[in-house]
Amino acid sequence: MEMDSLPNGNSTTTSTTAPSTAPPSKLTQLTESLKLEHQFLRVPFEHYKKTIRANLRAVEKEVSSVISAVNDYADSDISNDDAVQRLTSLVSRLQGLKRKMEEERRTENLQAERCRARIDHLESPDAENLTGWANMRLKRILVDYMLRMSYYDTGLKLAESSNMLSDITFLLRALMIWQIECQDLVDIDIYLEAKKVIDALQNMEIAPALAWCAENKSRLKKLKHTQIKLLLAETFATVASNSDPGVNILEFNLVKHAIIVNAHCSYGWQSKFEFQLRLQEYIELVRAENHMGAIAYARKYLAPWAAMHTKEMQQVFATVAFKGIPECSVYKAFFEPKQWDYLVEQFKQEFCRLYGMNPEPLLNIFLQAGLSSLKTPYCYEDDCTREDPLSQESFRKLAFPLPYSKQHHSKIVCYITKELMDAENPPQVLPNGYVYSTKALEEMAKRNDGKITCPRTSLVCNYSELVKAYIS
Amino acid sequence: MGDVIGFPLSTGMELSNVKDAFDRVGKKQKLSFSKSHEVINQVSHEIEQALVKIQSDEDPMSPIDQKSILTELKHKLITIAPLKQLEGSQKELNLNLSKLPKLLEKSFPDISMAYRNVDFDFHIVNQILASHFYHQGLFDLGDCLINEAGEPEAAALRYHLLELHQILEAMRIKNIEPALKWVSTNREKLIQTGSNLELKLHQMQFVEILKRGSRADALNYTKTHLASFASSHKKEFQKLTVCIIWIGRLEKCPHSELFAPVCWEKLTEELSRVFCNLIGLSLQSPLSVAIAAGIEGLPTLLKLVNVMAAAKKQEWQALKQLPVPVELGKEFQFHSIFVCPVSREQGGEENPPMLLPCLHVLCKQSIMKLSKGSSRTFKCPYCPAEASAVVCRQLYF
Ligand SMILES: [Zn+2]
Ligand SMILES: [Zn+2]
Repeated sequence: MEMDSLPNGNSTTTSTTAPSTAPPSKLTQLTESLKLEHQFLRVPFEHYKKTIRANLRAVEKEVSSVISAVNDYADSDISNDDAVQRLTSLVSRLQGLKRKMEEERRTENLQAERCRARIDHLESPDAENLTGWANMRLKRILVDYMLRMSYYDTGLKLAESSNMLSDITFLLRALMIWQIECQDLVDIDIYLEAKKVIDALQNMEIAPALAWCAENKSRLKKLKHTQIKLLLAETFATVASNSDPGVNILEFNLVKHAIIVNAHCSYGWQSKFEFQLRLQEYIELVRAENHMGAIAYARKYLAPWAAMHTKEMQQVFATVAFKGIPECSVYKAFFEPKQWDYLVEQFKQEFCRLYGMNPEPLLNIFLQAGLSSLKTPYCYEDDCTREDPLSQESFRKLAFPLPYSKQHHSKIVCYITKELMDAENPPQVLPNGYVYSTKALEEMAKRNDGKITCPRTSLVCNYSELVKAYIS
Repeated sequence: MGDVIGFPLSTGMELSNVKDAFDRVGKKQKLSFSKSHEVINQVSHEIEQALVKIQSDEDPMSPIDQKSILTELKHKLITIAPLKQLEGSQKELNLNLSKLPKLLEKSFPDISMAYRNVDFDFHIVNQILASHFYHQGLFDLGDCLINEAGEPEAAALRYHLLELHQILEAMRIKNIEPALKWVSTNREKLIQTGSNLELKLHQMQFVEILKRGSRADALNYTKTHLASFASSHKKEFQKLTVCIIWIGRLEKCPHSELFAPVCWEKLTEELSRVFCNLIGLSLQSPLSVAIAAGIEGLPTLLKLVNVMAAAKKQEWQALKQLPVPVELGKEFQFHSIFVCPVSREQGGEENPPMLLPCLHVLCKQSIMKLSKGSSRTFKCPYCPAEASAVVCRQLYF
């Protein structure tokens, strides 16, 4: 709070008002806040990019396979008729490729339009539509939360509802625009792509997740050499500290062997997520006591992973398959049902990273920032005003681990009007030391023939007894 | 905070850079598309040529040597080098595709940087969201969320807010009956809070009758509904009765402000405020307030994290109090905070603000220091006046 300092002595007025920069207008503030929209621009672009790259690859692949077919024909003895037939089929393949390119191009263009719509939306706020724009942003934040939390019904309903635009007259006009805009401003289709995989994982099916991995192969996080080492070192430690022999000897051998193998072939690993999926499927076979199936699965999918085709490795998988759930090792964790929830979490993380989404829901990020900026020690007192979100128990709980805000200057809020006092509406002191805003006191004096009653102590005094306080 | 490294340039500039980069992607996409088309056509053409040659077996004397035609085709395709051509145009497109995310990362900060790794209990968040929807009158949405997330119902809150929204809905079509009904059931509580909402509702109804122009109806309404306010709200009562005389030419009535359309809006807002207050809610949805504060505060927090990251990231996660102020708009100031201009300390119960005789305000500790433990008089740091600790008075905000 910046206020005039007091006229010193009796006559000279040394007004040292140092108004800090005028509070930014709402529009300026909103423009400033556009910087927070990374995800809003990034996600549709990543989608667009993914489509373009997939299409480029498809073209390249088809053309190169046509060329190698020609090479094959040239190098082999085929009859005249055969040659005609094969070349004709190559030509129609190329025709098919062109048709497919046209189709894919339409998809690309739609996605490009969405990116464009987002840029336009960020350019659209002006003094007239501030409230509407901000409401739309809140809605976007909430839809993002719902979709991330897999509350699809609520998310879709919210995206479709236009009621959140507060201005009624604006409503009808907005209703028509909304139908078009809605799809452009929230990433529903992208989340629906995730939903398929998540639903399947929750039903303990990994096929859609594997398909998704294959589709995004080049962009998934690889299991890093160091990570493997760490994982194995942990296993090693667990095994070493375990007194129960039996399975553990085998575990021990597995670890020993894995470390040696990995020292040699560090980059032969596939994505971490895919490895986890495969392992889980193997575990399910073991759980179902499908011993032969488990061994076959391990041979087929897990052994190549570890680049281990040795007898020892197979023996380990076989033993685990027959002996059931190991007693005490990191593998035990894989047998817990919540492992599937863990896979869902892993998937969500990978998914967000791939599309350039924030790892946390936008809602949580903004809510945290807001609560931290609002949090003061006074918020937790009984007389905290209801207009403060932190007067509510739920918000207090969320804010509990967050830091308090800080002030460099006094900010005095009138107890009566709840308004921030300033040079225009300065604080005045009653004889008992209680402070209220001039506006509130003048109003009270007008209504009660110059009498002031302190609302907190019931002290009655005359307006003329008040003194201005100078708070800098 | 003005001097710390921020994010460069204005958002407008950033956006137009993004737009340019995006346009370039579009152009390269078009180029790459037509290049692909061209390459496919070339390959297709060569194969078709070869086909024609193989099929043109008019001369039975010299049988077609398909093998040599195929070899010729193979070599032609090698000269065309379709894959290399594709690679060339794809390379440029790919380059531009990778550029844009980098540009976005540079100009639009990663807002999760300011996120503290604390678990936000999502049950609490869900309940806050459901309440928010009820608060906005979106009851379907609130119910849907509670259902989908499997949260316990907030029946009491829903009941109250539904009542409020029904009242407001009715008022929108100038029907104040539900509002009056609510007011009369809560008359005692309203009087305690000093609200004269009941009178205001009747006044509104009366105004509508005046507008319709029947003197008899107006007189009748005065008798049945307004008379009871005659003694408690003398001035208002007189005003209203005066208006009866002006029926038919209300625009000339000295109290024409009563007939302004904005009166309905004001009344609706007041009713919402009083209603929310009575059931222990704020007029604004607390979620909207908290998110709006977050949007205003986040840019400062991000700058702060940036500065602190240069030192150590851990510190941000462990802060008990933010090291810099986050300036929020007036509407977010809910508490009086006194910061002593001398010590820069935030005042509190143990260290309250004190009023000097010269009317400057310092915290108690500063006064103790200046007066050497209240043993002597001191000069006010802000004016030439002298003071002693005993004459300073504690202030209560
Ligand atoms: Zn508070
Ligand atoms: Zn002074």
